[in-house]
Amino acid sequence: MNWWDDALHRATAEVVLAGALGGLIGVQVVLRRLSFFTMALTHATFPGVVAASIIGVNIMLGGVVAGAVVALGVAALTRRRGQDAAAATGVLLSAGFALGAALVATQSGFSRDLSSFLVGSILTVSPQDLLTTALVLAVVALVLLAGARPLTQIAFDRAGAQASGVSLGAWDIVLLLTIEVVVVTLVPAVGTILALSLIVAPAAAARLWSDRLAVITALAVLFGIGSGVAGLWVSTQWNVAAGASISLTATGILLVSWMGTRLRMRAGLKRVPA
Amino acid sequence: MSTAVEYRGVSLGYQGKPALTDVDVTLHPGQRLALVGPNGAGKSTLIKSMLGLVDVLHGDAAVFGSDPKSARGRAGYVPQTDSLDADFPISVRRVVMMGRYRRIGWWRPARAEDRRAVADALDRVGLTDKAGHRFGTLSGGQQQRVLLARAIAAEPRLLLLDEPFNGVDVLSQEAIVRVLRELSAEGTALVISTHDLTMAGELADLVCLVNGRQWAAGPPDETLTAGPLRKAYGERAVL
Repeated sequence: MNWWDDALHRATAEVVLAGALGGLIGVQVVLRRLSFFTMALTHATFPGVVAASIIGVNIMLGGVVAGAVVALGVAALTRRRGQDAAAATGVLLSAGFALGAALVATQSGFSRDLSSFLVGSILTVSPQDLLTTALVLAVVALVLLAGARPLTQIAFDRAGAQASGVSLGAWDIVLLLTIEVVVVTLVPAVGTILALSLIVAPAAAARLWSDRLAVITALAVLFGIGSGVAGLWVSTQWNVAAGASISLTATGILLVSWMGTRLRMRAGLKRVPA
Repeated sequence: MSTAVEYRGVSLGYQGKPALTDVDVTLHPGQRLALVGPNGAGKSTLIKSMLGLVDVLHGDAAVFGSDPKSARGRAGYVPQTDSLDADFPISVRRVVMMGRYRRIGWWRPARAEDRRAVADALDRVGLTDKAGHRFGTLSGGQQQRVLLARAIAAEPRLLLLDEPFNGVDVLSQEAIVRVLRELSAEGTALVISTHDLTMAGELADLVCLVNGRQWAAGPPDETLTAGPLRKAYGERAVL
């Protein structure tokens, strides 16, 4: 029997890749304070995935298209003066989820698939899903490496970056679309709704341990992979839904990191990063 | 003599709406121009226009003889520190290295000359010992000096500073003034926005008084006087 023929082997490989992917993009999401935006993206992806499933096209394509509409919409809104981007993002979030739910209601016998879109279905991951996740991981790593300088400059000092000739609009779109592609890629592993925890929690935890971007990135990837593998193990041992246990593990790592930082602060060993 | 900045009857604005009008100013290399006016007077708009980031609605605006946008490579910009993300995990040295990115490019590693330029710039602002510290842990005045070092590392011919003395301690203020004087002696043209009239009078060769429009431009002893100041600040100005 081929190694890939075992569902648990495929699931393990998928959570390793998905964890690395979530951790990697999560650093950008956390440092740019895009967690809320990413949450809106995950909810907006949901109707895209459902619609694609109904009309019988690739669900990733449906998710990317729906998410891209939201990403570009939010990018356009934040570029206009006097617009409340948070309010717009919040409305898009619930509207996206509502649209998904409405689409689901039009179909009979859809409820099992619905839960897999929402919270993932790691044990049914196909070799094709694995290949897609691996490819997306490679592309995202390349984009973030190639764009490291402008992305850092924009995140730290938007006005200064613009003054030095960095194209804010172009890089914003590159980043938002990259986040969207990651969200959609994580759907088979943890679903649209739980993808957020695999993106934000590992990076937020990593930020608590270091002030250096390279260390934060390495730790975020490590925490992402750790959340995936430990969550999958818990899921198989105690028959818990894998998506949920992965999310809870990631949240647990963040909680432990936060408590560790408080303890270190109390012991006066290290200044806590703000 | 070539000019660093030459504005003739310039009106500036956003999306067709004027924010600052009637700007007539000429700045030569090595000169220090102070932009003075109350908050919201258009000082930042004028600075941003010199980087080609604001629409010129009327008049002729030239930086080093050409369109401000195309002269951006020769201009350096020091933003206000409160527009920055102080929580960002970045060392002082890396902030200053950002000033070299335009020369290095996005992908190539920094060369020995870039590292030397960063070290020299930090030395000039007196913060060599803080190179490894996280930017956000520094005081407001030290952060402002780091941003000045970043601009110096880019070796600009025109340096634009947006309220560089806001919330800055005396020690940092003295360090900034000393470096600005050195830079102008080396031929760099400086534009400094400030609402500190005393500082403007001491530091600048030229003062541009603005509030929605340009009210006066010229040497400090002609512009920072009762008449022009009343026009810019209103009749209630306490002089």
